[in-house]
Amino acid sequence: MAQRITIDPVTRIEGHLRIDVEIDGGKVVDAWSTGTMFRGIEMLLKGKHPWDAQQVTERICGVCPLVHGTASSYALDDALKVSLPDNARLIRNLMLGSNFLQSHILHFYHLSALDYIDIAAVTKYTGSDPGLVAVKDKITALVQANDAYPFLPRYESLDYLSDPALVTTLVSHYIQALDMRKKAQEMIAIFYGRMPSFVGTIPGGVTQPPSISNIAAMQSRLAELETWVNNVYLQDVLAVAEAYKALANGVGYAGGNFLAYGGFDLDAAGKEKFLPRGIILNGDITSVKPFDEKLITESVIHSWYKNGTDGLQPANGKTDPEVTDYDPANKYSFLKAPRYDGKPMEVGPLSRMLVKKPQILLDLVTKYGITQPGLVARHGARAIEASLIAAEMNNWLAQLKPGAPIWDKRDIPESSTGRGLVEGPRGALGHWIDIKDKRIDNYQAVVPTTWNASPRDKNGVRGPIEQSMIGIPVPDPDNPINVVRNVRSFDPCIACAVHVIHPEHNGVKAFRVV
Amino acid sequence: MMQEVKSQLEKKGMTRRQFLRYAGAAAALLGLSEAFIPQIAEALAQAAAGKPPVIWLQGQNCTGCSISFLNSNYPEVAEVILDKLSVRYHPNVMAASGGLATGVLDDTLAKLADQFVLVLEGPIPTKENGRYCTFGVKNGKDVTYEEWVNELAPKAAAIIANGNCASYGGIPAANASVTGTTPVSGIIPKDKPLINVGGCPSNPDWIIGTVLAYLTDKKNLLANLDSFKRPKLFFGETIHENCPRRGAFDAGLFLEDWNDVNPDFELCMFKKGCKGPVTYADCPTRRWNSKVNWCVGVNAPCHGCAEPTFYEALSPLYEPLPNVNMIGLTPAVDTIGWVAAGATAVGVGAHYLAKQLGKKPEAGEE
Repeated sequence: MAQRITIDPVTRIEGHLRIDVEIDGGKVVDAWSTGTMFRGIEMLLKGKHPWDAQQVTERICGVCPLVHGTASSYALDDALKVSLPDNARLIRNLMLGSNFLQSHILHFYHLSALDYIDIAAVTKYTGSDPGLVAVKDKITALVQANDAYPFLPRYESLDYLSDPALVTTLVSHYIQALDMRKKAQEMIAIFYGRMPSFVGTIPGGVTQPPSISNIAAMQSRLAELETWVNNVYLQDVLAVAEAYKALANGVGYAGGNFLAYGGFDLDAAGKEKFLPRGIILNGDITSVKPFDEKLITESVIHSWYKNGTDGLQPANGKTDPEVTDYDPANKYSFLKAPRYDGKPMEVGPLSRMLVKKPQILLDLVTKYGITQPGLVARHGARAIEASLIAAEMNNWLAQLKPGAPIWDKRDIPESSTGRGLVEGPRGALGHWIDIKDKRIDNYQAVVPTTWNASPRDKNGVRGPIEQSMIGIPVPDPDNPINVVRNVRSFDPCIACAVHVIHPEHNGVKAFRVV
Repeated sequence: MMQEVKSQLEKKGMTRRQFLRYAGAAAALLGLSEAFIPQIAEALAQAAAGKPPVIWLQGQNCTGCSISFLNSNYPEVAEVILDKLSVRYHPNVMAASGGLATGVLDDTLAKLADQFVLVLEGPIPTKENGRYCTFGVKNGKDVTYEEWVNELAPKAAAIIANGNCASYGGIPAANASVTGTTPVSGIIPKDKPLINVGGCPSNPDWIIGTVLAYLTDKKNLLANLDSFKRPKLFFGETIHENCPRRGAFDAGLFLEDWNDVNPDFELCMFKKGCKGPVTYADCPTRRWNSKVNWCVGVNAPCHGCAEPTFYEALSPLYEPLPNVNMIGLTPAVDTIGWVAAGATAVGVGAHYLAKQLGKKPEAGEE
């Protein structure tokens, strides 16, 4: 008989997420994804000075503030008709790239790894590597002191990695990763002042010019990070993928629709991007289709908003709250359900890498016979992307020109509109601004996790995370380890996903997405 | 005592020498001289006996303060603190999910009442019966963040509001009319020891230093909070007082165009909206991200993110401070933020206006 379980809170993600699954015959047969927190960031921007936007919107998320600040800067640039200097474009790429590195490293080691390793195996390490012995002694002391928080309690599982040498190595990398992600944050501080809540990007450019010394400060950290990403992070992901190859094909497959806005402009007009733009439909990765913004709509039939606003284009602003009790047959999330041409779309590293198709990814697809990329492929794509971005950052650093302009000064127009479409660590992000009387009249963001963690739409079609749950093996309903492994493989950020909704109709003019 | 200290440390796999190094870093964090190292070592060792449990909850937050915590300037201090604390609940770190996770909260309430430290990241939405933030399900019903705080706060030994929005409402408070955003101080019992650590985000040193001060001398920490309940240790002086660009301000050299940045002489950010004159925080000396930089260090204005008035009352962020003509009071930590802040700006205004008019400020105007 089918059994329903609720996982709330889903921890080791950003924000407040609830997952409900129905299990029958040891497998998930249905699933519901629920965002359970709301702030309303764009509403408070109405009437504010346009320059405030990036400082406020980067606080949508403390893990990936760079992508919001960057999208906001591009939206402002567009509205102000800025001609962005090359130095500013390159510095924005470098800073966003640094945030990708910190976010991807954090995601694999600190948010995900505990789903795959049996940390207690460390106590059985018998090797003599001094670094690993130190790790062993530390964990052993904690276990003996009977205080293994926060590593216990946990879901029990028979397939945790338990080889003492491998687990001890991974735990030592968990500790190294703390330092590596910190260095990536320091890179952002070099040009943007601090992380999180950086200050170095402004409408029209950036605030800190490149110099011999700050370029050198970046280079030394980047060299160390790039080496570590290639020699440790990527290798660990490949090793864990090999150990879990039973989950490599089909498990966590979200239906085969992938969307990438593309990111990291390689020319002033943003025509060529390091991560290309494109759409993949129905799992046909051999065919990348062009992206058309006009095909995005949002459904609210299963979200805590009134039904009359269903099916509008994303930045429409006509949303009335209707906070009811949790009811999966009716309304059950603060997230809306964005759809592209009526279809749910997965966004994030897997989408971007399937559109870009680096050889190393194609080799893995062949090696494991992956026809339906899911849980394992998401980790793989993320690590491969980190490696590619770290390498490319060297090129951007080399192109910086000390002494050349960093800012195109423009006045705030009486009225204007602008938009910025970028890629963040978690996927495609768009910001839209509408300026009236030199103030913000409307501001909208459509963010990655709203795509991935969306509830059902008006046709009852599941969102990508919901769909990806179908068929997930759950041999023991008290320990649904594969369910949380799968949801974490998307790296969800719920603070991002939910802030975007207007809980009340404030008469703001609808955006036209062009 | 020394024997006891030694055995505790050995249990944790830590030598006396290592421990003294940690204590040395702790002294540096707190701005104390080396003379205090033995005292800190002793106090930390004593505190270790209890190993206070920590419950760290998140509400209307963005996780920025947790991410900032990971960027500690003094990782050895963070390590020793984590060794001395039992972090039972932290949503981004803990292995457990779902009922297994919230079970830890129930277990702590049942067994460790009046012993645990409650860290709250993010304010509490109270409208719609708290439904704007929920986590966990009990008896078939969603549990609101407000309900968790109401249940846990009265039984906490002390409460730390981590970051500007938990402390004062911050950015979500600019939308309080919709969600009912309430800072921690507005919901917990009035007699509960509360420490507000502002900043958007909080600097990792401020949080680690506050915990350190709590562990080593709780009474002293609570006696040295200002009227906003923030530790004077970190929030005792304005950014402006200690700004390395103060010389540019005094010389009337203000940044006007970001293409005119001169690496040999760094310009004052006042005309680009710097809120340093009204912001009490030690950023100029403490800096961020392992002391790599800080906001003004990249020719950006201070946005005043550590102030109770952030964000709404400090907007527009890139416009010069108002109230420069205000005359009056001697600025002090204990006077009301924005008003006192305006008072601090007196000196600023005199200089600024004088320079605008091409005159030198009179002696004593400062």
